[in-house]
Amino acid sequence: MIALTVLAPEDNFRAPSPDELFNSFTPIIPGVTWFTKPVLLAILSALVVIAVCWVAFAKPKLVPRGTQNVVEYGYMFVRDQIARPFLGKDADRWMGLLITLFFLVLFWNVLGVIPLAQFPVASHIAFPAVLAISIYVIKVYLGVKHQGGIGYFKNMMFPPGLPKPIYFLLAPIEFLSNMIIAPFTHAVRLFANMFAGHMLLAFFSMVGFWFLFEKLTPLGAPVGVVGVIMTIILTGFELFIQFLQAFLFAMLASMYIGGALHPDH
Amino acid sequence: MWSVPSYLLAGMAIYGGLGWLLDRWLDMSAFFPIGVVLGVVLGGYAVYRKFGR
Repeated sequence: MIALTVLAPEDNFRAPSPDELFNSFTPIIPGVTWFTKPVLLAILSALVVIAVCWVAFAKPKLVPRGTQNVVEYGYMFVRDQIARPFLGKDADRWMGLLITLFFLVLFWNVLGVIPLAQFPVASHIAFPAVLAISIYVIKVYLGVKHQGGIGYFKNMMFPPGLPKPIYFLLAPIEFLSNMIIAPFTHAVRLFANMFAGHMLLAFFSMVGFWFLFEKLTPLGAPVGVVGVIMTIILTGFELFIQFLQAFLFAMLASMYIGGALHPDH
Repeated sequence: MWSVPSYLLAGMAIYGGLGWLLDRWLDMSAFFPIGVVLGVVLGGYAVYRKFGR
């Protein structure tokens, strides 16, 4: 497939296919097939998050300056917008997990528009899936621990304050939604946003490159200009989406953990 | 608020699935769409009850 597309002489514009964009990485070390660009970027961003937090908080000062100032701002954002609304007085205990999730996912996403990297790690579903499954395991464990094995499912499926026949109809929905679909949408929301965003950026930059550099014609040039402009606009939009998705991922994690610690009220 | 889609999906899956099974069993084709609509309505009601106050 890949060899064919490279060898075939091309005269017409062809949009980049998902297979080319997401599935055709050569292993960085020959022979080690799993070690490709997304894996390298995932590891690198984990290291960057560790390094940034280390630089910021290894020797914390009372009056923050430089890196500590910036990272503290991020910490406050996660605490006030993500942790406290859902966890209340337990917020501080869970900040370690939530701040790691937020910064890691944010960095994974932002790699999608950083030149040379230009690949949002989360657009391979395995990466968000692992995070979502971990949160799911934590959620079920905490729920069973804090509300009891039967109590957890009872609180989930039969929240108080409803007429009896409605329970019969709603209990299966609650169960399916909380136990199966919630972790699924948790991972897929992040994955799909990053996947689609990367496709869009790749498509429009391909349009610009093709019509302005590969096959420059009087009629094609305006199309290429539109492609370049759209690439610039969408890069800004993508930055916003990347931040929003990192925020949402951490927020949903906080919501699930909060729901497991305390039954619905 | 962002867990709303999972309720709607769950409603559709449960009652659409039940309708589909009924259709297979009775050799009909009416219960599946009815089930999907009913599921979305019930999912919407679950959402309203949970977040709408």
